[in-house]
Amino acid sequence: MDRQGRDLAQTVWTRLDRKAGAITELTIRQLRHRMSTWVVLGVGTLLILMLLAFYVDSVRDGFKPIDNDGDSVDNDEDGYPFGQERRYGTSDWNPREYPGSGYYVQDGEISWNDDARVHSGNHTWRGATGIFTPVWLDSSYEGDRWSGIIDYDSIEVCPDEGDFATDWWIEWGTACSEENGDLVVHSLEFRGEGRLEVTEDWGAEWGHITDVYDVEPQPASDFIDEDDIDWDGNILRESQGYDDDGDCRRVGWLSDDFWFEKDTNRNNIDCDVRWILGSDGETIVFIQADEYVDEDPDDVRLAGEGIHRGFIIGTAKIAFIMILSIFLPLFLALGLVRDETENGTLHYLLSKPIHRGEFITYRLLGYVIVAGGFVMALAMIMALVTSLMGPGDSLIRLRDIAMWMGIGFATVLALTAYGAIFNTLGLVSSKYGVYIALIVGVYEFIMAVLTLFGASLVPVLSVSHWTLQLVDSLVLIIWPDTLMMELQANAFGLSTGIDLFWNPPIHTLGTDNPFISAIISVVVLIFITVFMIWFGQRQFSRSEIM
Amino acid sequence: MNSPSKTPAVLIDQCSKWYGQVIGLNNVSLAIDGGVTGILGPNGAGKSTLFKLLMGRLKPSSGSVRLFGIDPWDSTAPYRRVGYVAETERMYDWMTGHDFVTTLARLHGMTRDEASSRAEHVLDFVGLADVQHKELGKYSKGMRQRVKIAHALVHDPDLIILDEPLHGCDPIARTSIMSVIRDLGAQGKTVLISSHILEEIERITEQIVILHNGRLLALGNLHAIRDLLDKHPHRILIRCDDPRALAESFIENDAVYGVVFRSDEHLEIMTNDLSAAHSILPRVIVNSGVKVHTIENPDDNLDALLGYLVGGDS
Amino acid sequence: MNEQPREGSSSGEGGISESPFAEVEAADSSEMDLGSGQTRMEVAFGAGDGDEDASAVVAQRASLGILFEQIYRPWDGELGPRWVRNYAIFRHHVYGLFTSKGHRYYHPFVRLTIVVIMLASLTPIAMIFLSSTIAGSGAGSDWLTRMWGVNRYNLWGQVLGYFPRNLCMWPVLTALVVGGMISDDRKNGTSAIYFSRPVTRIDYTAMKYLSAAVVLGFVIIFSYVLYYTTSIVFRGEGWAFLIDTLPIFLGGLIAGILLVITYTSIGMALSSLSQSRFFAAVAFLAIIFGTKLVALLVDVQFDTSILYIFSPYDSLAHVGQWLVGIPLNYSHPLAFSIVSILVFNAVSIGILVNRVSSLEVTRE
Repeated sequence: MDRQGRDLAQTVWTRLDRKAGAITELTIRQLRHRMSTWVVLGVGTLLILMLLAFYVDSVRDGFKPIDNDGDSVDNDEDGYPFGQERRYGTSDWNPREYPGSGYYVQDGEISWNDDARVHSGNHTWRGATGIFTPVWLDSSYEGDRWSGIIDYDSIEVCPDEGDFATDWWIEWGTACSEENGDLVVHSLEFRGEGRLEVTEDWGAEWGHITDVYDVEPQPASDFIDEDDIDWDGNILRESQGYDDDGDCRRVGWLSDDFWFEKDTNRNNIDCDVRWILGSDGETIVFIQADEYVDEDPDDVRLAGEGIHRGFIIGTAKIAFIMILSIFLPLFLALGLVRDETENGTLHYLLSKPIHRGEFITYRLLGYVIVAGGFVMALAMIMALVTSLMGPGDSLIRLRDIAMWMGIGFATVLALTAYGAIFNTLGLVSSKYGVYIALIVGVYEFIMAVLTLFGASLVPVLSVSHWTLQLVDSLVLIIWPDTLMMELQANAFGLSTGIDLFWNPPIHTLGTDNPFISAIISVVVLIFITVFMIWFGQRQFSRSEIM
Repeated sequence: MNSPSKTPAVLIDQCSKWYGQVIGLNNVSLAIDGGVTGILGPNGAGKSTLFKLLMGRLKPSSGSVRLFGIDPWDSTAPYRRVGYVAETERMYDWMTGHDFVTTLARLHGMTRDEASSRAEHVLDFVGLADVQHKELGKYSKGMRQRVKIAHALVHDPDLIILDEPLHGCDPIARTSIMSVIRDLGAQGKTVLISSHILEEIERITEQIVILHNGRLLALGNLHAIRDLLDKHPHRILIRCDDPRALAESFIENDAVYGVVFRSDEHLEIMTNDLSAAHSILPRVIVNSGVKVHTIENPDDNLDALLGYLVGGDS
Repeated sequence: MNEQPREGSSSGEGGISESPFAEVEAADSSEMDLGSGQTRMEVAFGAGDGDEDASAVVAQRASLGILFEQIYRPWDGELGPRWVRNYAIFRHHVYGLFTSKGHRYYHPFVRLTIVVIMLASLTPIAMIFLSSTIAGSGAGSDWLTRMWGVNRYNLWGQVLGYFPRNLCMWPVLTALVVGGMISDDRKNGTSAIYFSRPVTRIDYTAMKYLSAAVVLGFVIIFSYVLYYTTSIVFRGEGWAFLIDTLPIFLGGLIAGILLVITYTSIGMALSSLSQSRFFAAVAFLAIIFGTKLVALLVDVQFDTSILYIFSPYDSLAHVGQWLVGIPLNYSHPLAFSIVSILVFNAVSIGILVNRVSSLEVTRE
């Protein structure tokens, strides 16, 4: 053919191109004619659509404001939320204590060994044991939980014969009424006017309730999103933040907690937030807030964006990388050459002037077009929906689309690497290859789980680790403020999912630059792919085909 | 490839192939160029091993294999001039015959259009023009064999290797495949065809190679081999009503040196010269007046031929 | 079922002996000795009379064009009872784990993996043994006992713990063991070996199912029971301990049996769907891993745990928590998980029965 005067480029390259086209096309058509391909792709599509349904549902509900610090709840159900009760120094675990419910002040007492055993007056009596001759009794009086209140509905009649304490006793914490209208009480609390004769060896105290006034209960919504993150964007100011709702400063609070500390972050400034910059002076590496400062931020503004990103990152990592990119190759790539060998149809293809290495590469190319095209299409659908429905004022979130394209790219890289690995396993040993591929799949899955939970060293020997790493890097490249959002989520107790699904990229060679980790990840993935294809073709070229 | 005309298409030099302990091919030397050559041998004789060595599927354990002067194990270059019909039965059942040939033609570096028109041409040549757009899964066995031949011819090769192309075909398919192969030979191609049935090869070519247990037993013109065969003791089995009467008329002939009565109906005639015996056979039978049911040549098959070549008795 | 093929001419010239009871993949099936004693087939299918003189005979009258002449010899033996036949199927699959001679062939890799998983699941026993040997030395022993000793959480974890048992060990075990159970028959057409004999499809399915479950149970349940019993033996626990822990142990045992049954059902259904044992295995792993992860994603991101009912593992773990009596950490009602397990099993067995009953006795 060379002698016919065609130039070298045409004879070599165009012919190579045509062979590539033929084998790629054959592979695609073969995959298209296999039932399992459609089942797998169908299940993958269903998976993504289901996740989208959850996403759309949550967007339609809107991002509801969340009470991040938990002070809007009313634990004792007295109508005053926790935040309001705390401000007045009352307990939110005691329904009788609420703002304006007053305090008991002791006026006097008779202890067990006092000589005078009788006292008269209009009081709140506590721990009283003896005989009370009432002038007036407050039958609606409610005491503390443990203080033993007289239950006026079930007072029994005292025994006729003899006297109390000499001839008979009643149970601790109960009362009985005598025929003459006197009340026998044993360690009880009540309010009333009259004369109390305290039993020998027992005691009683009396006092009055002070500071009783009306406090209007505040609605629970006052304590949701009441302390937003205050940050003016000036990252050079280390001390930021303001305690909007005053639950750190506690100015004018009726009761102050002696143990409460206003400077938990130890920067000698009360009630502020420390924003610590990295060595480059640009990125925030640490956020430390004093307790009760900026603890309940505006969820719609902040968490909405965080949850949106958390969903994208979570879907990318779990659905795209851990499920699709591991299982699609297991289903589709393992048999690329192995099935041909088993069926004997390989003989048709190999009797043509085509190198076995080329053959493997083009087969993989066909598989990547099918699987990668599928993944890119899914990423495209996700991109369209999330960029249109995501939070924010703009009509379409262009960065979302960029992110999804990045995720698609990372997944395709993983698909290619796994395809090369599984295909090579099928070539190296037709007997053990499938089993080893299965184990490799499970291993990669476990390594991905470890990576997800932040392990940095062990999973380095896996494809999934580098793919997840690539996604982590892309997140930081496309949304540089994600790191800040994650830190905010950790510092202010927001649950966005970002901190669970995203970790800052690890392999940045110490520079914290996401571009470096992205490039390293891509290089590693491509290296794995190329090495596996090389190794596979080396084995394949040497193998005898029966 | 500077002077392909002087290099034989197939050159096998002291080639051996072992599969572990089992020997597949034992020190075979062979050079073939031009015309149709039949590779004969029973199952397991080494025919497929030979072809797989030629197609670079297997690496010779010792010796060398050359296709147009190039080692097929190292280079795929000679496949440009070779068409190979493997014995494998499986095909891509979902493809049409035309698709199948076109796809494989493109692996020779043809454009899609070139490949398509070449495919139509070769499918027409093997007589499948009318069914070329049907799926391979619906083809009969003979049609499948012809599609396989078509794919091997699509790039107009100089050497065509057919591994058992007639295997499992009915007589009609057999005839049409044979005529295709004869046509190829007539076009001046080098054709290698393997079979374990002597009669099949006999109808296609006169040049044969006989393999047995991995060894090259005979090589050359079928007539020459057959002449050798004719000179060794042969049997003719005749089933007739009265073997004894027939035996009497045979025993007078020079060509016949003995008779055996196998049963009441069977007569076995021993001869040293098969063609002479056959030439007198009709006349003797007619003259004797005995009613003859069947005439069989139990020795005129590959087994007998091999038995003779190997040197044992058959 | 118990019809006996008595009719038919008795030419009695010997005949083609029945092939030994082995699938195609058992390459050494020809080693069956027909000459001495009974074959396994006879034990399973007949009382043996008439089979003693069985030998493979190729007719001598072969001539060109005729391969051999088949002469069918009627069989006059007593058909063995149904349970014996079924037991033969069961035994064929289970014994194959230990010796592939004459039994189902398990790939050496599968056997190796089973051994590795078995050993890995027994690690707590080694720890308990360690804690009992250093007993009395105080803190170390106490710590080992707390970590690996018998308690509710450990009994639950021995069967239902996620890492590593349900993240890798049990699913891989199931995928490898169950993957080929029916798909191999579909691929090789070896179901004909069963269906050309007095074996109904129900028998066939049930016995395959049972043998797969027993193999899984051998690793999962056995290691659980061994864990409990050895901890009693090594630590010299008394009756009080037994009374305290036996109900928990039984709860965990039921959870383990549920797990084995559910995993077997899903695996067998997938195996019956495909011709490729590998497809079944990968599909099983994809279901177990995929549903769990997606449910986790939805739980974290959208604050609803309802999707866990689609995850076989989580449904089992939920029910297991209830059976063993540890706090439930799923927020959806327990009944959902119970129903989910029932649905998983019902659908899987439905698919399995449906696919087997439509299985053609050919190589598909």
